[in-house]
Amino acid sequence: MTISTAHRPAPATVQQWWVLSSRLICSSIRNGEVALCIVTSVVATAGFYIPLNELIEGPGLPTGSYAQYLLPLITLVAIAFASIATAFRAATDSVQGINRRLKALPIAPLTPLLARITASFYRCAIALAVALACGYAIGFRFHRGPLEILAFCLLVLLTGIALSFIGDVIGTSSRNPAATSQWLLLPVMIFGYLSVGIQPLQRFPEWIQPIVSNQPISRIVYALQALAGSASPGASPVTWSVIGTALAWIFSLIALTVPLALLVYRRRV
Amino acid sequence: MASHIAPPRAAGTSAATEDSLSGLLSQTAVLTRRSLILLVRNPMTIVFALLLPVLFLLTIDVVLGNSVEIATGEKAIYRSAPLVTLVAAMLGSAVGMVGIIDEQLDGFLNRLWVLPLHRGAGLLGRLFAEVIRLTATTLVILGVAIILGFRFQQGPVAALLWLAVPVIFGVAFAIAVNTAALYWPKALLVDAIQPLAGLGLALCVGLVPLDLYPNWIQPVVRYQPMSVAVETMLGLSVGGPLALPMLGTLAWFVGIVAVCLLPLILGYRRASTIG
Repeated sequence: MTISTAHRPAPATVQQWWVLSSRLICSSIRNGEVALCIVTSVVATAGFYIPLNELIEGPGLPTGSYAQYLLPLITLVAIAFASIATAFRAATDSVQGINRRLKALPIAPLTPLLARITASFYRCAIALAVALACGYAIGFRFHRGPLEILAFCLLVLLTGIALSFIGDVIGTSSRNPAATSQWLLLPVMIFGYLSVGIQPLQRFPEWIQPIVSNQPISRIVYALQALAGSASPGASPVTWSVIGTALAWIFSLIALTVPLALLVYRRRV
Repeated sequence: MASHIAPPRAAGTSAATEDSLSGLLSQTAVLTRRSLILLVRNPMTIVFALLLPVLFLLTIDVVLGNSVEIATGEKAIYRSAPLVTLVAAMLGSAVGMVGIIDEQLDGFLNRLWVLPLHRGAGLLGRLFAEVIRLTATTLVILGVAIILGFRFQQGPVAALLWLAVPVIFGVAFAIAVNTAALYWPKALLVDAIQPLAGLGLALCVGLVPLDLYPNWIQPVVRYQPMSVAVETMLGLSVGGPLALPMLGTLAWFVGIVAVCLLPLILGYRRASTIG
């Protein structure tokens, strides 16, 4: 359909993206989202470390201390909560008709989605920082160089982006903001508990080991544990096969969910 | 049906007035049914409220089952099944909370208030629906636990009491969070249930036995409401100390109800009359 009016404003997409992102970011301090994000990251640390430390700590750990072993999983859990809040935001926008309104404006169709992902990235960064601070408090340390620290953070944030896309698809298609976010705890716990982030693979019952070892969270945890290193010589080395598998999982998740997000977004708006 | 103009008082129906006991009963029944229909017609809710807790029960049984059994000498399912019923109760009550927030904002509560209904019917309807939901969820989780090797060893009365514990706990929790929702109807409050439930679940004797927690946090773990409820349910299934945990469970229940009941009623009245 062509519109034959005299002139049509042509604002820069980058500026629109920035406006829509700051709409989400600015409100997050006032409406308690940031506070909730911080609390959730602290709870994730306490919730895994306090009960499990004594149960799982032992000579079987390749990393020496349990804090060193557990931190990758803690960051991933914190990130999961921070990023899937996008779902909630997407659903709210969808219910309140903001998406429809934006679609009537001269805005590129992907910009609102990108803005939500940007806001999610910002929450993920906060969650990661808090989780690392908590990790330092319980005794986690980076044992490799600054490059590995950077890679660690990037890998976590990339996972956050992949999860935000999933959250956005769920949220946009659900239309019921409240019905989406409250159910995240158990899936996150289930994926977390059934991963090598919680205990070494050989401590799981044998029949479930293939599932545990090959699920995406475990693969990402392997990479993060390698990048963090450890004081004891048992830590796995940073190799392309470890990092590559994690990246492959993350990018295939993104590759799967982005088209889905587009489809849902187009249909639901 | 909707297009009829109703007579001032619905003629032919029971003559129950809005402050009579029979009116309260029949109206509560209608509103309970309404809450349950809303619950059942939302398939997401059913899947998540039943499927996820069951999957979580299987998960912690697989992951921690062996370690906990070595540490305590009894099957971990006797601890994990009660824990999961409590977590399911907490997460499920968010549904009612969402309902009360939405209905407060969209005017449904106001609408109920101007109808010739007993003033208590709205809240009582929610309460009964919550009790039925809690009982159903607990039964499903119990069924899975029995498949995993859970057995009642203290007789049928203890088994019935075991079923009642998550219901009592869930009702207290629902009263607390609904009171909060009436005064602060924000969706963020619903989100905040997750870290709360997560923390409660992590610091509970249902996950890991008490002496494996660090010393400084043991008092918190021991006396928090979920732990005393799990201890009660342990006593009612495998046996063990019962009187003290049961007293603790009831104390938490009475305490929460005593603190929240009046604010809940006043908050409900306020939410129904302003806006």
